[in-house]
Amino acid sequence: MSVEMVNIFQQADHAVLPKPLHDERARQEFAKSMKGFVQQRLLPGLAPVFAGRASRAFARAEGRPPADRHDIRRAMVADPYFQHYAAANRIAQELLWDSVIDSIERELPALNARAAELSAASRAPLETSPDFPTPRYVTALDIHCMPGGYAGEVAPGDISTGALYDRGVYLYAMGYMGPMNDDMGRSVVNWLRRNLPGFAPQRILDMGCTVGHSTLPYKEGFPDAEVIGIDVAAPQVRYAHARAAGLGLEVGFLQRNAEATGFPDAHFDLVVSHILLHETSGRAMPAIFRECFRILKPGGLMIHADLPPFDRMDPFAQFILDNETWYNNEPFWGAMREMDQLALARDAGFPDPRFDTAPMAVLEFAAQSADYADAAAVAEREFTAGEYAPGGGWEILFARKPE
Amino acid sequence: MTAAPKPAPIRDARGKRPQFYEAQGLDQAMSMILVLASEFAVLRERMDTLERILEAHGIDAAAAIEAYAPTTEVLTARETWRQAFLARLYYLARKDAADAARGDTDTRFRETIETIAER
Repeated sequence: MSVEMVNIFQQADHAVLPKPLHDERARQEFAKSMKGFVQQRLLPGLAPVFAGRASRAFARAEGRPPADRHDIRRAMVADPYFQHYAAANRIAQELLWDSVIDSIERELPALNARAAELSAASRAPLETSPDFPTPRYVTALDIHCMPGGYAGEVAPGDISTGALYDRGVYLYAMGYMGPMNDDMGRSVVNWLRRNLPGFAPQRILDMGCTVGHSTLPYKEGFPDAEVIGIDVAAPQVRYAHARAAGLGLEVGFLQRNAEATGFPDAHFDLVVSHILLHETSGRAMPAIFRECFRILKPGGLMIHADLPPFDRMDPFAQFILDNETWYNNEPFWGAMREMDQLALARDAGFPDPRFDTAPMAVLEFAAQSADYADAAAVAEREFTAGEYAPGGGWEILFARKPE
Repeated sequence: MTAAPKPAPIRDARGKRPQFYEAQGLDQAMSMILVLASEFAVLRERMDTLERILEAHGIDAAAAIEAYAPTTEVLTARETWRQAFLARLYYLARKDAADAARGDTDTRFRETIETIAER
């Protein structure tokens, strides 16, 4: 089903979000519109171009048809339609970041001062360390082509790449993450309510939380729980803390590595992550699973909302998704999808890990904001590789530590 | 007391930029065309905002625009804007130089994907 809707989704303002001027906002809107256009109007042309043209050219040259996503990629990179599609997608991504940096640059250093002031007024813990060893999988490339990456700092106490991520990821997701970018956290909280109605966690940890956009729904859903977000990048942690404080939520944010968090054994009832694992590495991912097992109380729950493995889709869909590896600075994206996540969880000690789909919470946003009135249509979509949040649901891996 | 210098955010992402088109220079040309398209959309939106505001105040903008003569100050502001616009238009030339300065290459990018999968 194709969704013919005019996307007028608007991000909700909060205290540390940069305030774009008229023209900055118009540039940001253009980048968001262009991403939508590429996905709605250019992406569908790739399948017929491959079937009718690129696969035949490959077969003529190689004496055999393309067999897997690597062959498909080789066939497609030579085709002018694919070149326009991929170039337009990349340029939209670059324009997106640049348009947000304009607002941030204009607001510095006042933006950093605003964040520090909000954080100082909050009772929730904030912890960063100047000599924190940021792992190479975060610093080797600027993931998503976001200038500075997660951890880049241009001033003392800098939060600018946190602000860049908050505004940029809203535009990247074209607003489908909801006015507060909190769709993934909300989706998992909803899934917990439906599947484990009596579950009342006292301590909750969100790993790789960046700006805490997925963390806050846990505080809203379980107001009596102690909720903590951790991330390896100091600007993200600082921004997350100030953002939560500005929204009146006491959530702790600490600069910690999910591979070795420093928390005591059997400390948490629930450990979650959202689109974290695919931004780690082949060595870090199993270590994170083991760390989850260690810090969970007996009977506690681990949930990772991330990407489904490649073996759950056809090679053409794999090829489309793998473009993120090659064109959006996601070095672990493809390799992660080839790992046996269930086996990794079992090796870490979880006896019965499973995959499930947590439906997007996007329907709720229609009730929150007039510009989200058409959001319901998104939940009806079927899986389309290369679209944001395809199929209206998030793949989650969940596992319980034995009592 | 001297004020701390105003922080300048990082503009270029780490990681060699792929070339999508075979023809040399076409990637940069496409990016320029799309930056122009973006600025066209921005301008159109601003004009639209302006005309709607003026209309709400009962002002005939079209006649006033034809009668307008820019001052030296206005000429300076316009040239400053045009130079900033050109800098945006040539952002890929800046990224290319940044890749070269950092030594980011296709080989280094491929090695990162391989080594990150392993360790």
